[in-house]
Amino acid sequence: MPLSADAGGMPLALCTVTLASPSRPPRTPARVYRQTLWLLTSRDLRVRYSTSFLGYVWSVLDPLVMAVIYWFVFTQIVDRSIGADPYIVFLLAGLLPWTWFNGAIGDSTRAFIKDAKLVRSTRLPRSVWVARIVLSKGIEFVLAIPVVIAFAVIYGAEPTWGVLWLPLAILLQATLILGLGLMIAPLVVFFRDLERAVKLVLRFLFYASPIIYGLTDLPDGLEAWMAFNPLSGIFSLYRASFFPDQVEPFAVVVAAIMSLVILGAGILVFRRMVRAVLKEI
Amino acid sequence: MGDVVIRVEGAGIRFRRNRRGRRSFKDLFAGSNRRARPNEFWALRGVDVEVRAGEAIGVVGRNGQGKSTLLKLVAGVMLPDEGRVDVIGGVAPLIEITGGFVDDLTVRENVHLTAGLHGMTRAEIDERYDEIIDFAELRESVDTPYKHLSSGMKVRLAFSVISRLEEPILLVDEVLAVGDKAFRDKCYQRIDELLAGGRTLFFVSHNERDLTRFCTRGLYLDKGLLQLDGPIEGVLAAYNRDYGSPS
Repeated sequence: MPLSADAGGMPLALCTVTLASPSRPPRTPARVYRQTLWLLTSRDLRVRYSTSFLGYVWSVLDPLVMAVIYWFVFTQIVDRSIGADPYIVFLLAGLLPWTWFNGAIGDSTRAFIKDAKLVRSTRLPRSVWVARIVLSKGIEFVLAIPVVIAFAVIYGAEPTWGVLWLPLAILLQATLILGLGLMIAPLVVFFRDLERAVKLVLRFLFYASPIIYGLTDLPDGLEAWMAFNPLSGIFSLYRASFFPDQVEPFAVVVAAIMSLVILGAGILVFRRMVRAVLKEI
Repeated sequence: MGDVVIRVEGAGIRFRRNRRGRRSFKDLFAGSNRRARPNEFWALRGVDVEVRAGEAIGVVGRNGQGKSTLLKLVAGVMLPDEGRVDVIGGVAPLIEITGGFVDDLTVRENVHLTAGLHGMTRAEIDERYDEIIDFAELRESVDTPYKHLSSGMKVRLAFSVISRLEEPILLVDEVLAVGDKAFRDKCYQRIDELLAGGRTLFFVSHNERDLTRFCTRGLYLDKGLLQLDGPIEGVLAAYNRDYGSPS
């Protein structure tokens, strides 16, 4: 530390002359990455929580309102034969991770555009623009978990050993989102239409993933196909916390393989495109 | 003479001529193809420069001749399509200096964020925090959201943060044209201090007075090529000879 030694006693005028410092310990790339990732993530969270009065409530309210709507439709209006009891807990266990997925993929379409000035002026590890979205949305998801617990307590859903699957579910989902984000973020810079296309696909995917229903509710032929939506396996792991019979080993294995493949493809696409992105931004 | 801190070897970068040029997926994935495609041009090509620690270099050239691009390559915010750019040690880039600041966060939070993104550790930031605020003359506004600052204050704050970075190389891209005279003088003084402290300066400007004040060596870029590399007076003379002198 070049300044710490002389900053104490010297007059301020002298202190301001800082010497070029070869003695500064070099920072490893991993440390730079961690520090940058953390700064940007905490910036995202701080902005969200400092600008809106309700802060945390908003990040929970969206999945909660949706859960109440589907709960109302499927238990009060339609005679439900899908999912498991208590249905509201079943819904939330799928809706909260979906909110993470949906929010992170949606935001990753604007990963470079939103911070264009910073990308243009500061040398940062570039994949951090996607990683920070995955992380900040992931933190919001983890913070929202108490909501499920609260409903589980109210409706008397018993936690099972399936809760041990939770870390794996989070890890797989983070891998999947990161991989998709690394593909989408640079592509959107060149194909702005992709932003809308992604929104449309997300809306479709909401119904094409086991959120308001479970994998086991599907007819046999469809179930196998559904496993190739990696969200199927991942969401079934989340539900294992309360509904262990929802876990479909085949779907989980497929989800794990697909998440890793998508991450690999994402890294490849990102590497090839980043040079062009920096020129375009 | 110090060690080489910036080494640019045969660096070239090309851009598309018009924004609406047809883009295909094939284009995007054709990574380091050496040939420029028909709708592309080389903004810089075959640039070789070696900069030693402590040198103060001024980059001269008309608009659009690659000055800022060269600076961005050195800053690492763009990557060359051919050749290489090696920078030993960190850089403090005064390029679009207000870029990292967030409207909704306070001045205090912004100082921590921006300094952190540029690689300062938390301890270093805490240590220099008062210095940064005093230099920017924003002592009363530390808890004001950044968006409520006047544009002059914003630039002051940004310059203050970046010029306090503990990096051996300082990159300046014509930011000094902004701000009132008193603050500009302060900025100049700060750059003088940094130079006296042994920093390396890479300076892009159209202002001859500034260039001769800070720099000893000049680079003259024209048509994407490095035309001349020598003492700043000679470089300015060559530039004025080619394009007529305003003075």
